[in-house]
Amino acid sequence: MGSACGVSSGSSSSADNVRIVLQNEPPTLEPCDSSNTGDGVVERSNITQPLMELDLSNGKLSPLLATAWKKTSPTTYTFTMRKGVKFSDGSTFDAKDAAYSIDRTVNNTKLGCFVDGYVFGDEKVQVKAVDANTLTVSTAKPDPILPLRLSFVEIVPTSTSDTAKVREPVGTGPYKIKSWDAGQKLTLEANPDYWGPAPAYKTATYVWRSEGTVRAAMVKDGEADIATQIGPDDGAGDLAVQFPDDQTVALRSQGYIAPLNDIRVREAINYAIDRNGIVKSLFNSESTVAAQLVPKGITGYNDTIKPWPTDVAKAKQLIGQAKAAGVPVTTPITLYARTAQFPKIAEIVQVVQKELSNVGLNVKIQMVDTTRSNELQQRPFPKGIGPYLLVIQHGNQAGDAAFSVDQYMLSDGFQSAFGTPALDKLIKSAEAKSGPARQQAFEKVFAYEPTHVNQFAYIAHMTGMMAIAKDVHYQPDVNTENEMHLAAMSPAK
Amino acid sequence: MLLFLRRRTLTSLLPLLFVLIGVFVLARLTGNPTSLYLPESATPEQRHVFAATHGFNNPIWQQLLDYLKGIPHLDFGTSLRTGETAASMALRAFPNTLQLAVATMVLSIVIAVVLGSWAAYRPNSLADGISSVLSMTAGSVPDFWFAIMGVWIFAVILGVLPTSGVDNGLLSWVLPVATLAVRPVGVLTQVVRGAMVSALSAPYVRLARSKGATDVRLVTHHALRNAAAPALTVAGDLAVGLVNGAVVVETIFGWPGIGKLMIDSIVGRDFAVLQACVLLTALSIFVLNILIDLGYALLDARVRETVKA
Repeated sequence: MGSACGVSSGSSSSADNVRIVLQNEPPTLEPCDSSNTGDGVVERSNITQPLMELDLSNGKLSPLLATAWKKTSPTTYTFTMRKGVKFSDGSTFDAKDAAYSIDRTVNNTKLGCFVDGYVFGDEKVQVKAVDANTLTVSTAKPDPILPLRLSFVEIVPTSTSDTAKVREPVGTGPYKIKSWDAGQKLTLEANPDYWGPAPAYKTATYVWRSEGTVRAAMVKDGEADIATQIGPDDGAGDLAVQFPDDQTVALRSQGYIAPLNDIRVREAINYAIDRNGIVKSLFNSESTVAAQLVPKGITGYNDTIKPWPTDVAKAKQLIGQAKAAGVPVTTPITLYARTAQFPKIAEIVQVVQKELSNVGLNVKIQMVDTTRSNELQQRPFPKGIGPYLLVIQHGNQAGDAAFSVDQYMLSDGFQSAFGTPALDKLIKSAEAKSGPARQQAFEKVFAYEPTHVNQFAYIAHMTGMMAIAKDVHYQPDVNTENEMHLAAMSPAK
Repeated sequence: MLLFLRRRTLTSLLPLLFVLIGVFVLARLTGNPTSLYLPESATPEQRHVFAATHGFNNPIWQQLLDYLKGIPHLDFGTSLRTGETAASMALRAFPNTLQLAVATMVLSIVIAVVLGSWAAYRPNSLADGISSVLSMTAGSVPDFWFAIMGVWIFAVILGVLPTSGVDNGLLSWVLPVATLAVRPVGVLTQVVRGAMVSALSAPYVRLARSKGATDVRLVTHHALRNAAAPALTVAGDLAVGLVNGAVVVETIFGWPGIGKLMIDSIVGRDFAVLQACVLLTALSIFVLNILIDLGYALLDARVRETVKA
């Protein structure tokens, strides 16, 4: 493989097997959690499949287990199922399985599915298998992006439990689980009953190593073919491949606590940060400075918004004005960031802290783990810990701004510290629209928020990086961090 | 001997209980895992049901009591992450850590005895230099640095060893064991050297020398036995440290042991698995300490008398 090394990884290196090293072992491969738990990258469209598949690069849905769909009433969509599809346990797929899977994911109160939370929120659906090939899905109010939401539901057979989450699901995908040595490796094998073209690799082996340097070294050493989530300094050399990502990094203000409750202070924070400097020196060169919560390609992205300029004098002036008006600008503010959330996060918060201190704010850094970060980020917010800024990394894998602004900008949004009735109205109005009107309405939301609410200081739209061995052909794209299709991989010619 | 074992068991129960309760309480002070395991949109009812199902709604003393009641039945609860029983996950990982610790200690003792004896017999020799450098390095360089450098030099540059994992037979063991062995070898070599210097100058060795015993026989048959007792005590402490401290090495090398499982459980607020790991580790340290005491008694007649008493 990549080097002239005599060491094998235990799974033979051959044109039949592709070896992938991940950062963490998936805890389970429960299909209804595939948007959150890190299992989506293994599971989605490899083991299980949805009715339609979203292409994040152009925002279009393409047919998968559903061959066609149309709006048949203001609140109902009708889907035509693909014929001749079998699950990996040999059972036949039909509309009943699709109805069961949607009901299990969206309406089930026992499972607590992440897809339900991320994609459907409080919305419930009525779902009916009209006949073996026809499915209808209805909502209480018209939902212009219902097919997009349903593209996050992985389809499982009706034999799947609806009271307990499953660790090893059965699906219709090109691969099925061959073996899972807990703690060591997970092996998938090609599903002989697959309805589509047979994938190039007969088996795929996943292992997991927490250190980016070790993951990169495994590809250089010929022990793995693909290493995910590596950083520019992990040593992958010319095997490192950059690709677009759906993630945006920003600072979020807990804007109802003084001194962050004064918009001049929040604007000063925006003026104080040298985004270009951060992107240039700390990220790889292709990361781009961010001016809004979503990157290009997401419905609602506004390409006229310019990144906030760096103007230290202006920032100092705004802090001075706030101070003169009685705002306690020297109150200690905690800058929280999640350890190892993305490469170089520790360096970034140090730079930001220094920049904010330079303009007269009293900022101290606190690194926290995932659970604490969730508590700080999600309602109900912790009380009595004073004003804080939180480094967030938001990914919009659904391709529509609604999935971002609903939770991050509404006054009572799950991850929103504050907002205004006027912004709420703009968001609700945009969410009810479809087509070009929807795009324009969300553009307005993104233009309005910084000038009237200013909850965020956007920093960068991220790029992803992985290491790929020379004898494997795979082109990562904006979907890759969420789902890495084994069928798109093949031995290099 | 039985009396000794009984007394030792009883005196160890209290600290064991203290550790279990400490970990139990500290884990719960880190926050309720509900926010980690339920989606953002989960209703208050769903959160309540989740917390009630896993007992997080009960007062902490009641949670602790339930946990302690389960221990005699080997019921440590269920993993929040995987749904498996915590006992089965911990028991699956533990042998991997034990194997790593045993291999490291055996290798460390062999190297330390050879290097330490050589250094004691030939002061200021090459062995003396190596042991000094090793012990200084052991005291000042962190494990993860050795681990990463080992991967870089032997796997990436030289290509003679695998970077990580357990799939390459004996080759898989080299880097983790070598990384773990640096500290024990450094410390033990110094201890063996010191003990051997004293032993070699003792009257009974001088007598044996005067009777014409060879150098090798002097070291192996006469001095080493007396030098072994202090070395064994230190080796025991180091072995305890290995079982306890394989966390970094297991995490970097993807070694599916108890240390890595513990880290994963802490990150995932998987309390039941964390508690099972801590209990298993504490028990193994307890057993190890008894074995050290017994070994010490076998080597030293004075201790043997105390044990009998």
